[in-house]
Amino acid sequence: MSKKLIQAQEISKYYRLGVLGSRSLKEDLKEWWRGKLNIPVEPDPESRRHIWALRDINFDVYQGEVLGLIGKNGAGKSTLLKIISRITLPTQGKISGNGRIASLLEVGTGFHGELTGRENIFLNGHIMGMKKKEIDLKFDEIVEFSGVARFLDTPVKRYSSGMYVRLAFAVAAHLDPEILVIDEVLAVGDAEFQQKCLTKIKSISREEGKTILFVSHNIQTIRNICDRALVLDKGRIITSGDSESVLASYIKMNRDQYLGTDYSKLPSLPGNEFIRIYKVELIPDFLDQNQVIDIRTALNIEFEFFYQAEESGKIQVNLQVFSASDELIFEIASESRALATGRIRGSAQIPGNFLNDGSYYISLSFLRNSTSRLFYLESCLYFDIEDFKGSMEFSGKWAGVVRPSFPVDLFQLTDPA
Amino acid sequence: MKDKTVWQWEISPNRPWYRLNLKELIQYKDLLLRFVRRDILASYQQTILGPIWVFLQPLFTTFVYFIIFSRVAKIPTDGIPPFLFYLPGSIIWSYYADCVTTTMNTFQYNAYIFNKVYFPRIIVPLSTILFHSFRISIQLLLFTGVYIFYSLHGTVLQFSWQILLAPFMIGIAACFALGCGLIVSVLTAKYRDLDNIMLFLLRLFMFAAPVVYPASLIPQKYKFIFWLNPLTPVIEIFRTSFFKPHPLPLFYLSLSLLTTMLVLVIGIILFNKREIQIMDVI
Repeated sequence: MSKKLIQAQEISKYYRLGVLGSRSLKEDLKEWWRGKLNIPVEPDPESRRHIWALRDINFDVYQGEVLGLIGKNGAGKSTLLKIISRITLPTQGKISGNGRIASLLEVGTGFHGELTGRENIFLNGHIMGMKKKEIDLKFDEIVEFSGVARFLDTPVKRYSSGMYVRLAFAVAAHLDPEILVIDEVLAVGDAEFQQKCLTKIKSISREEGKTILFVSHNIQTIRNICDRALVLDKGRIITSGDSESVLASYIKMNRDQYLGTDYSKLPSLPGNEFIRIYKVELIPDFLDQNQVIDIRTALNIEFEFFYQAEESGKIQVNLQVFSASDELIFEIASESRALATGRIRGSAQIPGNFLNDGSYYISLSFLRNSTSRLFYLESCLYFDIEDFKGSMEFSGKWAGVVRPSFPVDLFQLTDPA
Repeated sequence: MKDKTVWQWEISPNRPWYRLNLKELIQYKDLLLRFVRRDILASYQQTILGPIWVFLQPLFTTFVYFIIFSRVAKIPTDGIPPFLFYLPGSIIWSYYADCVTTTMNTFQYNAYIFNKVYFPRIIVPLSTILFHSFRISIQLLLFTGVYIFYSLHGTVLQFSWQILLAPFMIGIAACFALGCGLIVSVLTAKYRDLDNIMLFLLRLFMFAAPVVYPASLIPQKYKFIFWLNPLTPVIEIFRTSFFKPHPLPLFYLSLSLLTTMLVLVIGIILFNKREIQIMDVI
């Protein structure tokens, strides 16, 4: 068995929620007076005042392996990354390790817009922990990899975003630590470049035998890159093992999950005097036994609410779909109808072969006479769309927000020689 | 199972306050110098006068002091030409003030980096101090120029061997500024109210140091308190060494050194202990 490089024991991370102000100052003073942190022992998932972002995380990383960390948004992936990267401290537990770690939670950290590309290569390289000698040695390689040689003496604020990312990734790709911690958000930019990033990451692990900790919520990427994987959910590790079997159980877990919220179980329904929401749910039209939402799956959204009608008022519901980075992808609207007071059901469909793979969330907006907003139900549904490539040879992340299957045809015009 | 592996590093909730990792700090020497270089390069991008601003700043300030404190308020300057009298005081003072204000905002200004990458955080305040030290060295050249100009034009100025202490005096100011800045940076990270108070206090503090008046103006009964301020001997010795030979106030100088070291040590310990925890509340 190869050497253990990282050993995480009982890692937990506690966050206090809410706004910092005079109230939190009072609590701080109390804690300071008593000489210890006031942390409730029992995790209470419903609490609005605190959260255990991670709870009793144990894992080991061995030399030369690529360990994948998969989980939904909010599962605690980023927090764990930050602890390993020494950006934040765990509340409990400890991580021990051997070897130099470089963390790529972002490319181009510390880039200064006013400085030239050349200056920024050094600046960023040093921030990532490289020494001057190392950068001098790899400088030409970095420049070549980035493909921005012509603009080396131009301030990076004049770069296009593509060039900027290329240069940033080029530096990151030439780091030479024993352990590399990579966040998937790293693979940004256009499709070609993303492919280049993933290929580079692969070659770093295969050819150079680097140990890599890779975080993603994309099953396809983890399958492509990792030997072993862990699934994080609500701050706990729920499965671990070789990536194939872990992914299989992760997929199963997602399948069994009910996508939606039934508010009628809560003590009070969200809403106001005009609108009360009973439930919102997502019902996918699964295509096969596997029951995974992939890019081909059509999604039905159904919601029920109580409507307090007003004289000569019409009700309209708008549905907004956002990407995980809070970008509004599109908004669709119902027709504005004069409905009577009472329980109302609405439904909408997002066809298959429309959204690209990724994480999305939905918000509902209730309007009177198409203009005045009665109620806004923010981010009530979260869902992930998995990639499906079929027979396609390209294995990287497909670019773009939408991914329609409009026909693109090729014809042979000249006779084959 | 017995675990016999020896670990090179460990991450745990508690950081002992005494563990200042000097070896690690030396490993990041290149980063420190690069930050200084970045600040120097960046501060004069897209300006017309460029590096000349390093000179203009103290000249303008001194000119304003000259008008207000010498012409209007008629505060004596120990028989030294007022312009020449104010120049070193204002240079040293603004060095101190700039160092403190930038250092105390370390976490707020650098959160975007601190949130993504680990390196010893103290590199940032250290680079700030070095950057301002670079500026003050140039400004002191300007002062020397003005000094020579005055001497050539008939003003009788007597310097003493104490001018050799100038770098040492600037060093005290730097350490004191670093210490103050570090302490405030840790205190203001969570609750920003203190920032405003600090800026206000800093402005008042200028008048507690002999920047716009000579120390000889202070009545005997306040003398001790006045000289407790580490900046007082710094500015006073700097000035007398260039203008009028004066025995070294050794007692106050050592007192100033002691205070400075105390503030600096407290600052480093606080900063070292809290630098990572602070990231949860920024």
